[in-house]
Amino acid sequence: MTAKTDHTTHGSHLGRILVIAFHAFTQLVRMKVFYFLAVFAVIAIASNFFDLPQHEGPEAEGINVLRSIKSWSLGTMTLFSVVLSIVATALLLPKDVEDRTLYTILAKPVPRIDYLAGKLLGVLLLVFVSLALMDVLMTGVLQIRSSMVLDQQLAMAHSLGWPPAAIESLRAETALHGPSWSLQGAVFAVFLRASIMASLALLISTFSSSTLFTTIISFLIYFIGHFQADARDAYLQAGQAGEGIFARMATLVISLVMPDFQNFNVIDAVIEGQAMPILILGKLTLIGLYYALFFTVASWFVFAEKEF
Amino acid sequence: MKTWQRNGILAVAVLLFGAARLPFEAGLSKELRDAGLTSLPMQIGTREKIGQTSSAVALGGLRTLVATFLNLRAFTFFQEQRWADVADTFDTIVDLAPRTRYYWETGSWHSAYNAASYFINDSKLPPLRRREAWRDSILRGRAFLERGIKNNPNDWSLLANLGFLLSDTNKISAFRSPEKTFAAAADAYTRSAATGKALPYVKRSALYSLARVTGEEKNALALARSLYAEQSNRTPTLTILLLVLEAFENPNLDTAARANELFKTPEKAYDALSGHWQRTRERFPVYGIAKGLEALEKTLNITAEKSIFTQPPPPQFDEDRWFSQ
Repeated sequence: MTAKTDHTTHGSHLGRILVIAFHAFTQLVRMKVFYFLAVFAVIAIASNFFDLPQHEGPEAEGINVLRSIKSWSLGTMTLFSVVLSIVATALLLPKDVEDRTLYTILAKPVPRIDYLAGKLLGVLLLVFVSLALMDVLMTGVLQIRSSMVLDQQLAMAHSLGWPPAAIESLRAETALHGPSWSLQGAVFAVFLRASIMASLALLISTFSSSTLFTTIISFLIYFIGHFQADARDAYLQAGQAGEGIFARMATLVISLVMPDFQNFNVIDAVIEGQAMPILILGKLTLIGLYYALFFTVASWFVFAEKEF
Repeated sequence: MKTWQRNGILAVAVLLFGAARLPFEAGLSKELRDAGLTSLPMQIGTREKIGQTSSAVALGGLRTLVATFLNLRAFTFFQEQRWADVADTFDTIVDLAPRTRYYWETGSWHSAYNAASYFINDSKLPPLRRREAWRDSILRGRAFLERGIKNNPNDWSLLANLGFLLSDTNKISAFRSPEKTFAAAADAYTRSAATGKALPYVKRSALYSLARVTGEEKNALALARSLYAEQSNRTPTLTILLLVLEAFENPNLDTAARANELFKTPEKAYDALSGHWQRTRERFPVYGIAKGLEALEKTLNITAEKSIFTQPPPPQFDEDRWFSQ
């Protein structure tokens, strides 16, 4: 017991962060968030039945259902991950204050940055595990359905005596709508966006007085983040449309303060069957890390001397 | 440190952090747009059409999901034959998901085929207005597909669909000039084949359209020869067009002998030539066909009663009759 306590209190930063992270993760799991997976399973299976009559050639038979499965699943993942990351983060600090756990932790020699990083990591772990489980479900459903579609298409192509090159082209085109590395990249992009929101919610919760305030402001920033690129473009092309100085200042402030979420809309392209280059995913990861690190350090800056 | 000092430092840090990431994000944003991986911002008109809630969902990074819902709504409009609503909804859908081929093709199909067919039989409208509505629907379907191609220039299927629409002889009178329309169809098919992803029928379809353009016979013959060189392309239509175009190039060609050579037996040659002779509705050229048929009838001892020249032609496309009933 003593050894464990020593490890916790005098151990490395990473050790402390991990202990707090697992505690936060367990705390959130007990709130029964995983029940949502049952809803997701229903959605993933239901999306199989939106097979509208199609007019395209037999080579396109079933493609729309594959797109529908991806669209519904990734849409649900986005909603779930953003809501979970904001609400769970907004809830953690006030709940620790309410339960008085915070006082117990801060009374020990636990640096406040470790506490914040641990809490954030706990939320991110929960979001990651949830997304991974949803991803397994989606990929499974998509794999089964795309094999069915491909079998149907190949039978048609063989019966019509298509040449091997045409059959290969058909196979490649259908494969774009099935499970792919780009699809896994899109799920990771969903996680990155949720990570940015969680770290931002953490920053807001350090100076906010209520969970509700943190949640509302975070959602507002999430939506404004999808306009940020428009504001940035307006600022960078300023003068061409004769904007006034105040309009320019406003677009500059929005561009500098708000995160840019439009780049993460690359997910839509993957749903539409395009491939996501690994370099793009790498750049999105860099952006995600940059935001998460900055918001965490900024949270610590506010939280460091906060009195409870 | 006092609170105002702390807040001041934080505000400056946020601005510096923003200034540091701005060029990188702007560069990535441009890179993604150039690669066609992100779409242009949603139009204000679209935001208004889909309503506040859907707009918020779409702005929340779920554009394709909103497009999926709208597609279901458009299907209901289609079942209720509310053609203006169908067209309007598809305009919105493609603004949300401009890279999805299915939406462009379905939107165009509803307009150029379903709505156009509906107006042929719409007894509530007087004939002149029915004809205008029919024509408008076809033109709208074409324009929609062309917009889709502008957004997705390398999509073989959209180009092939445009070629199919423009070479549809049931719709050809909706366009001002059949010659120019067939030329545009050939161009669309050729561009589709040039993507390297098109199915084999697309190249043959380019020939079928090009062969119907006056003045393009030489190019059509060159294309026919290159396609015929491949065994899998030797469909009856392509083979007969090769013969017809050769007869155009050389008016003294013994078409019966050449048909025997291409179709192996005089009986098969006669069947192929008679079939082509009767396809008047499709506006294919018939150079040398009559001469060849006459010679083959002599060879096969076909009586005057059984001659293809005395057989009634298949029912003709009669647009005036459609709209006068």
